[in-house]
Amino acid sequence: MTKKRIANQIRTLRFMNGEMTQAELGQRIGVTRQTIAAIEAGKYAPSLEAAFRIADVFGKNLDDVFQWERAE
Amino acid sequence: MNSPLHAQAPLTSLGMFDILDIMSISTNISSTMPYREKTAWLSLIAMALTIGPYLIWMSIVPPTKPLPDLPTMSLFAAAVVAQVLLMGGGHLWLRMRSPEEAKSPPDERDHAVSLRSVSVAYYVLIVGMILVGCVMPFNSGGWKLINTAVAVIVLAEVVHYGIVIWGYRRGFA
Repeated sequence: MTKKRIANQIRTLRFMNGEMTQAELGQRIGVTRQTIAAIEAGKYAPSLEAAFRIADVFGKNLDDVFQWERAE
Repeated sequence: MNSPLHAQAPLTSLGMFDILDIMSISTNISSTMPYREKTAWLSLIAMALTIGPYLIWMSIVPPTKPLPDLPTMSLFAAAVVAQVLLMGGGHLWLRMRSPEEAKSPPDERDHAVSLRSVSVAYYVLIVGMILVGCVMPFNSGGWKLINTAVAVIVLAEVVHYGIVIWGYRRGFA
């Protein structure tokens, strides 16, 4: 089975949305700042609901925020 | 890119994400470790400083007197009281340092880490308890049985908190 991982564009989207902080994003979706940091770093794969919430905060589709790609 | 040392690079060489990193570091430097990871470290340290020395002492100088053996019981009680005091003081200190984090309910990552750690520690505990409750009574008893049970509980807790720390540091993605 090919090893894949979930990549994300959260950092870029935060920057493009008025330099939104991890804490602010976390507050808006109901998780801690550390959880946002872990998601950004690929250390934690969020639940489907949290992923949809994050995409909703940025006004994007889910696949604009998260991608399923081959691990290096 | 997440290293605070990165902030020392000349400004001209900084990219968009570098600036974002520095901003995140400078605004959140006091809260880089999740509250629940801090409490896991506290529990591990408290156990290492109290029950750990008790178990080491018991393995070096096993009690010879029959139960209840008040000196051994007093030593065990002292270790437990010291652990409770360390945990209580540590939790109070952590709460005072980051009251907001202490008050916030666990989020989905906290639940995921907790679920993983508890389920692994459960197997350690159940195997240990089968050993203590079903195998050891045939060939030993007294303080040896009690101390082995304590050691199994400590081992299960070490596995539990160790996986919590591992989960927050390295992730399960």
